[in-house]
Amino acid sequence: MKSKADPQLVFLVGINLLVLLSASLLSKGAFIDPYNLQSMAAQLPELGLLAIGVMLAMSSGNGGIDLSGIALANLSGVFSATVVTAFVSVDQAPVLFTLAFAGIAMCTGLVGGVVNGLLISRLGLTPILCTLGTQLLFTGLAVVLSGGPSVRVGSADLLMEIGNGLWFGVPISFLIFLLIALLVGAVLKYSPFGIRLFLMGTNPKAARFAGFAQERLLITTYALCGTMAGVAGVLIASRNVNVKWDYGQSYLLIAILITVMAGVKPEGGYGRMTCLFLSTTALQLLSSMLNFLDVPNFFRDCAWGALLLIFLAFGRYELFARAREKGLQFISWVRPPPAHKSHS
Amino acid sequence: MKLKPVHAAIAAVLLATSVGALNAQDKPTIATVVKISGIPWFNRMEVGVKEYASTTPTVNASQSGPATSDAAQQLKIIDDLIARKVSALAVVPMDPTVIEGALKRAMDRGIVVVTHEADTQKNTHADIEAFDNAAYGVALNEKLSSCMGNKGKWTSFVGSLGSRTHIQWVEAGAANAKKHAGMTLVDAKNESFDDANKTYEKAKEILRKHPDIAGFQGSAGNDVIGIGRAVEEAGLAGKVCVVGTGLATPSAKLIESGAITAIGFWDPKDAGLAMNKTAKLLLDKKPLTNGMNLGVKGYEKVSVTKGPGAGYLIVGNAMVIADKSTYKNYLF
Repeated sequence: MKSKADPQLVFLVGINLLVLLSASLLSKGAFIDPYNLQSMAAQLPELGLLAIGVMLAMSSGNGGIDLSGIALANLSGVFSATVVTAFVSVDQAPVLFTLAFAGIAMCTGLVGGVVNGLLISRLGLTPILCTLGTQLLFTGLAVVLSGGPSVRVGSADLLMEIGNGLWFGVPISFLIFLLIALLVGAVLKYSPFGIRLFLMGTNPKAARFAGFAQERLLITTYALCGTMAGVAGVLIASRNVNVKWDYGQSYLLIAILITVMAGVKPEGGYGRMTCLFLSTTALQLLSSMLNFLDVPNFFRDCAWGALLLIFLAFGRYELFARAREKGLQFISWVRPPPAHKSHS
Repeated sequence: MKLKPVHAAIAAVLLATSVGALNAQDKPTIATVVKISGIPWFNRMEVGVKEYASTTPTVNASQSGPATSDAAQQLKIIDDLIARKVSALAVVPMDPTVIEGALKRAMDRGIVVVTHEADTQKNTHADIEAFDNAAYGVALNEKLSSCMGNKGKWTSFVGSLGSRTHIQWVEAGAANAKKHAGMTLVDAKNESFDDANKTYEKAKEILRKHPDIAGFQGSAGNDVIGIGRAVEEAGLAGKVCVVGTGLATPSAKLIESGAITAIGFWDPKDAGLAMNKTAKLLLDKKPLTNGMNLGVKGYEKVSVTKGPGAGYLIVGNAMVIADKSTYKNYLF
């Protein structure tokens, strides 16, 4: 029996292929040069991880969102760099440096996420207002710690490998993102935590009456979200060698755009990791295509906006289903189906 | 085998690659990447880049830049240009440190890298400065202090704490102001992010906090416009001294009303021309010698010294300080 294809998934796959195809044709093949594919693959993990965080927050319902993602990522990088460079020398112990840096950055992300979770669950703050506040808090802490200018992390070989290295031609940072996406996706789909999260997102009141430990669920969700930001901070540091408190301020809205364009319901209760992954790649492909074709950057925001609106229209009004029907009708008109053998 | 859409897509992609392989070698491309697109300063630089493109038909020259003041967005553009394998990159970095990694990747890929307003950039073949940054900061501050009568409170604005040149200017200015015992620096290095509105809001705050403030030194091209507007609104035009980097045409109205005392600048068009010409010299493997003439106004006798990395530091002599009596000469 043929399963009904998820229209949003099909749209995302379609848009990915369409952009890849048009960019290849318009750039005369330069777009699918391996170097460019690797370059694009290395650019998207930072955004993708932040988008995973936003998806987790949105899925928890009750207007869940995380506006503090990139601020926490920057704080993780700045804090970790400041602390680790004071105790471990980059040149003498590069492996220890890398592990310590990554570990402390992820812990900072975790702690930041727990702060968000506590404020939202214990104090009952609206997620959007709470994370707006923590965004400013994290940014402020990063400014104070760094004094303003960027903080040099230092080029430890292992850390550089994470950001720039390849494994069988695939960037390691992309593999890390893929792995995390698979893990979190599996947790969301198959683990009791994931199932309870989506149920709570769909109907918080029913969840409460069903006896879900809502506070613990929320704290775990936002803690996971914060850890994503911590990992993003490590990837940013490994690629740029320096971390700064105001890096990627535009990432906030872009991450939310990716999440919404993945079909994640902002009111909570639904989100597919596969769609999120494809949404990230689609936006990256579109962005790089416009840069390849020398299109001014202003048009990129316009293109993303148009893409989002088309995506929402497809999902909402089942246009895709109707278009597919019309398409099939047209195909059968052009090429009539073969005559059936009669069973009499 | 039934032709599925997936097969069609793969076939089309393979076709596209083969078309690319058959294509003849294009002209070398010099890609200029600026801090932020759409503001008067870099619109003027684009005039220079377009002029270079039209007078040098053997090269493809174009300018691009992020729509927002975000180093991450500039980094994305640079990454994509590296992947596109342009022949040379001419970058005005939003934050030199953030793009060090990317510029190293560019140099490893055989791309010529030229920068501007980034004399601490390690991974560049040549950094071009319009003038000695400390001298410029002192010149701005001297204009400010002579207007202030060498006494009173003053403050400074920068584009961002990461903007290397802006920090150099205000720090040189502060060192200069220390010579005058009557001048007190308060709330230094306010960030404007190249946004005239943000500058205006911050300047209003400062005027509220220090009602007796006597002077402002701005750094980013839009700073004097925001500060001047706040000063004019407060009715202090002509009473408070405002000096900073700015272009004459956008600042004209405020200069006339006295809200802006003086503007300092270098012609971004000439800077763009200088960057592209240097990139071409490096592409042609020509040497860069001390005292050479780049063929651009203000860069006829540049000093070429060793930069912080393996590249050169090229310093020109293109500083201009204009006030109410002289600004009309520079209405570009």
